[in-house]
Amino acid sequence: MLASLTAALGLVTLVSVGTGAVAISPRTLFAAMLGHQPLTQMQRLILFQIRLPRVLASGLVGSGLALAGLLFQGLFRNPIADPYVIGSSGGAIFGACIGISFFSQWSVFGFSATALLAFAGSAATMALVYSLARSGGRTNVVTLLLAGFAISTMFTNSSYFFELFDRTGNGKAGKDVLASWLHGVVSIPSWTELGVSAALLALATVAALPLMRTLNTLVLGDEYAQQLGIRVESARVSIILIGSLMTAVAVSLGGMIMFAGLIVPHVARLLLGPDHVRLLPVSALAGAIFLMLADTLARTIFAPSEIPVGVLIAFVGGPFFLYLLRKMKRSYTV
Amino acid sequence: MSSLLRVEGVDFDFQGHRVLRQATFDLEEGSCSAMIGTNGSGKTTLLRIAAGVLRPAAGSVRLRGRPMAALSLKEIARTIALVPQQLELPFDFTVQQVVEQGRTPYIGMLRGPGRTDRIAVDRALDLADVSRLRHRIFNELSGGERQRVKIALGLAQQPRLLLLDEPTQNLDIGRQVELIDLLHFLRDEGITILASMHDLHLVDKNFSTVLLLSPGQALASGSPEQMLKPSILEHAFQCPPDRHPLLIERAELYRKEAR
Repeated sequence: MLASLTAALGLVTLVSVGTGAVAISPRTLFAAMLGHQPLTQMQRLILFQIRLPRVLASGLVGSGLALAGLLFQGLFRNPIADPYVIGSSGGAIFGACIGISFFSQWSVFGFSATALLAFAGSAATMALVYSLARSGGRTNVVTLLLAGFAISTMFTNSSYFFELFDRTGNGKAGKDVLASWLHGVVSIPSWTELGVSAALLALATVAALPLMRTLNTLVLGDEYAQQLGIRVESARVSIILIGSLMTAVAVSLGGMIMFAGLIVPHVARLLLGPDHVRLLPVSALAGAIFLMLADTLARTIFAPSEIPVGVLIAFVGGPFFLYLLRKMKRSYTV
Repeated sequence: MSSLLRVEGVDFDFQGHRVLRQATFDLEEGSCSAMIGTNGSGKTTLLRIAAGVLRPAAGSVRLRGRPMAALSLKEIARTIALVPQQLELPFDFTVQQVVEQGRTPYIGMLRGPGRTDRIAVDRALDLADVSRLRHRIFNELSGGERQRVKIALGLAQQPRLLLLDEPTQNLDIGRQVELIDLLHFLRDEGITILASMHDLHLVDKNFSTVLLLSPGQALASGSPEQMLKPSILEHAFQCPPDRHPLLIERAELYRKEAR
């Protein structure tokens, strides 16, 4: 499974970087990689300055959202919990908007203020939603989803104020940056930005690895997990922080993209079963493939116009979310 | 026999209401005890305190003489397994995957289950007689099958003490008998058992000791003959003696024995 997905990821990357207004065939790419026939100056420029950074960024966004979705679904014992539904994305977007509007020139140890505020927003929102849903030592799932939805809606919509009262000082360009964030457009990052994002996502994934077995136990319920020797609260905090970091990486590169974090882990679970140890690498790879394909479609389907990938995925994700609600209604009777 | 678990002077409050008051009892190694009491008398709470899941407001719990508060969660989980009333899984875990969770106290974060763990899981599945169900989805099992799988999960912990919360609840009489047989078998294997029981018919003859919890009263314990006297049950359950078949039946039994 992992080998097939890795091969598929390679193939999708090749197809995605070759697809666009100036097509570069896989044969040309292979010939260039093998040193048989170098790319033209124009092809090199398109490939290394535009397409490859964007395709890799969409892969990171997809992986980040799918992994965060997997973690949150396991932690909250709910297949409907994804970074958007439980407010993590909304918090990250709000934080990032503050970063873009007020601190766009700031950076700390190479991390832009936007990325740091996205992480802070995501983690703070998760902490708030979680504390609202906790009562008498238990997490109320209905309260969690409602609180997450309310906070997500509140933060996402308040982000439009940043668009309205643009403080970036860049006029229409600044407004466009914010608008593309709010609609979910994968940016074309610099190679440094891409490297830092990839490193952060890799770090979060490595940190998540030893927690996957814990997540399997947490699925039995808090009390069961505790009597099996799990320190539930510290495991929860670790998973929330790691999931928030994954969300922040995804949001800082792609803005608000709904449903990817919902669909990918769910499909992976249908195919592989619920063991989180197996689901982690599969979700990471499948998330990357899903978003690379979706982003390639989003920028080519109505060429020369481009639609935000967030909008495209919402059209697919919305019906899928309704299907999940329908299928899972047994579990959500109050 | 030596004491495995000693609960002494335990108080517990829930939402400003005192659920347990000065509860004291002792479980000896290899004993098979039943806990009875009215709804809301604190049976589940006491089991959770005994399992180390809840901390009492006052009093002490000692496991083999050592204070429970001084033991790590993993140490406790290697000695005590609690089989709760309910286990609802949001995802489709197989029986084997569920039972494997019982090895959590033995598996480090970076190490997967090893040969010892696989042997322990197989044995737990065998002991609870659910090996044939190992590839079935837990959520698709019947109530009786689920109960056995939960016990297998507890047995995978290789506990010395198995705590069961109403294990015969929602089981038909045939499955109740099977479950009681399983408890006897586990006791013979050297596992100490404490089960909260709703059905008092099953308590007599099947348990060596009975713990009785009554609201506002101190916990009482003794043999089934001592604790299942109609006068005690009538008082503890606040039930008129001529209104329930069990009390009528037991009154008749004690009259015969007295003659």
